[in-house]
Amino acid sequence: MNLTLPRFFWSEYRKRRKKGALITFALFWGTLSTLLLMAFGQGMSIQFQVAFSGLGETLIMVSGGQTSLEFEGLPKGRPNFLYPEDIDYLKDRIPEILRIAPESYGYFQVSAKGKEINRTVHGTTAEFAVMRTQVPQMGGRFLNADDVAEGRKVAFLGWKVASDLFAAADPVGNQIVINRIPFTVIGVLKKKIQDSMYQGPDADQIYLSFHAYRQIDNRRRLDRIHIQPREAGQSRLIEDRVRALLGRKDRFDPADRYALGFWNTIENNKEGLAVFKGIEIFLGIIGVLTLLIGAVGVTNLMYAVAKERTKEIGIKLAIGARRRVIVQQFILETMFVFAKGTFWGFITAFNIVHLIRLAPINYDSFGIEAYLLRPVFSLQIFIAYMIILGALVFLSGIFPAWRASRLNPIESLRYE
Amino acid sequence: MIELQGIKKIYRMGSQSLEALRGVSLKIGKGEFISIMGPSGSGKSTLMNIIGCLDTPTSGEYVLDGDKVAGLSFDQLAAVRNRKIGFVFQNFNLLPYATAWENVELPLLFDGKSARKRKERVTELLNAVGLYDWRAHRPSELSGGQQQRIALARALANDPPILLADEPTGNLDSKSGEEIMDVLTMLWKEGRTIVMVTHNDHVSARSQRIIRLFDGLII
Repeated sequence: MNLTLPRFFWSEYRKRRKKGALITFALFWGTLSTLLLMAFGQGMSIQFQVAFSGLGETLIMVSGGQTSLEFEGLPKGRPNFLYPEDIDYLKDRIPEILRIAPESYGYFQVSAKGKEINRTVHGTTAEFAVMRTQVPQMGGRFLNADDVAEGRKVAFLGWKVASDLFAAADPVGNQIVINRIPFTVIGVLKKKIQDSMYQGPDADQIYLSFHAYRQIDNRRRLDRIHIQPREAGQSRLIEDRVRALLGRKDRFDPADRYALGFWNTIENNKEGLAVFKGIEIFLGIIGVLTLLIGAVGVTNLMYAVAKERTKEIGIKLAIGARRRVIVQQFILETMFVFAKGTFWGFITAFNIVHLIRLAPINYDSFGIEAYLLRPVFSLQIFIAYMIILGALVFLSGIFPAWRASRLNPIESLRYE
Repeated sequence: MIELQGIKKIYRMGSQSLEALRGVSLKIGKGEFISIMGPSGSGKSTLMNIIGCLDTPTSGEYVLDGDKVAGLSFDQLAAVRNRKIGFVFQNFNLLPYATAWENVELPLLFDGKSARKRKERVTELLNAVGLYDWRAHRPSELSGGQQQRIALARALANDPPILLADEPTGNLDSKSGEEIMDVLTMLWKEGRTIVMVTHNDHVSARSQRIIRLFDGLII
């Protein structure tokens, strides 16, 4: 490939790059704003998933309710409770269940090192950790099967509870007293974003083994049963089976929507993701429209450049330039400007995104910043952007170039 | 070398039409030095543009170097301008952003000459017009005389047999004008065909033959 002419065009472009500064800036600005728009859109979508997984990613939470239908001669309006034996009853009969865990909770006075606070205390099993994203901080752990089987008096603390009781000190190995019974702290919850909750954020909760919990709360019934399906797509099926099985056992109509409460995070997550996907698509459309406006701007500016250089084109035609040479020069100049503008737009957007990501998130007062402060720079989006913008800029350069190459040499030479 | 037969050029602007050339027939032999003279609007520049393949006649026949120009495409005409004809304009028409070197190199670039050949030729031409030391300067940094010498060097880049000069001394002081005319005369003596448009009798006196145009006709 003969690069002599491109080199000459590059040399000419460099000499008058100040004149192309406006086009370069337009492309820089378009690239910067579009990439930031997409990065924030994708970041928000990802943060939504992260925040949602703070409660649990593929989780069905079942709670008791009140019947709303008469059944086999029994009146409606009967309270319907969950019991510990329901755990094995359901697990044995529904093969689609991967994990299942009971949960009971109550509000108790908790004290340690002379400090007293009131917090929700939960009794559950080891499976709860995976299902409800209970990741311990370094040096600690969640409840294990032995803790549960032996009814060990151990406690796992939310990080806010830990700081409220122990300030900056490490609570692991220390004792807390709940309802006058001492428990040893075995771990503290790692900080996480959580946008869905039922008794407040996990940061404010205390978790005990299920049998140990029964020592501070002698109610026989459960507050919730947590179920994780083997596959996310089985969640509706499991809901129906739980209704049918518990309906048969506890004598309520399986069609009664109020006899049991279901919180299906899988379905909720789908809806949430659809909303954020919609936002991403919306931002993408805005991005594409921005690019189109940018391309129209580049076309206008290239027309202006072609007009300004009419005489110069005339000189080149007079001394023997073929039409394709004029077209090549315009296209190449447009692409030089494109490369320069998008390069700096990319560098600036990349750095802004990474600077913003350095900002800390306040996990204790979860707010909008948790969504905004984690934009994601996607290489795939950048490549797609480059292809679309490159094509638009190429097209926006080719029309002025074609027109310039069609100029009459004599009229061009006379142009002032 | 140049043969024009019954050349007419009519410019149409809407319903109006202007007959710039009304049947010009002219023969210019190889190695001739001719001047075209005439008052403003007589058709000098139009004739020059047609000879230079910058424009095409409305009717009539133009044969250049044995080839009929009428059937040539835009790019074929560009190739003729690049290789067979050198242009010298009154207002120099140098590229303002390019250096003296680049301006002279341009016709060679358009002809696809190699870097080595371009370098040799541009060096030779800039030395010939005495401006090699000014090669890195842009036109705005050169005097009118220097600019016209660069324009002459550019016109000679591809060693064309024909040189067309449109008022080559029109924008120059008398000393620079004399220098340019000396160069043109020298080029003619070397065997080039020179066609020059001028208003200046003193300048036209250097040529072998003067063609006078009036109202689109040779008188």
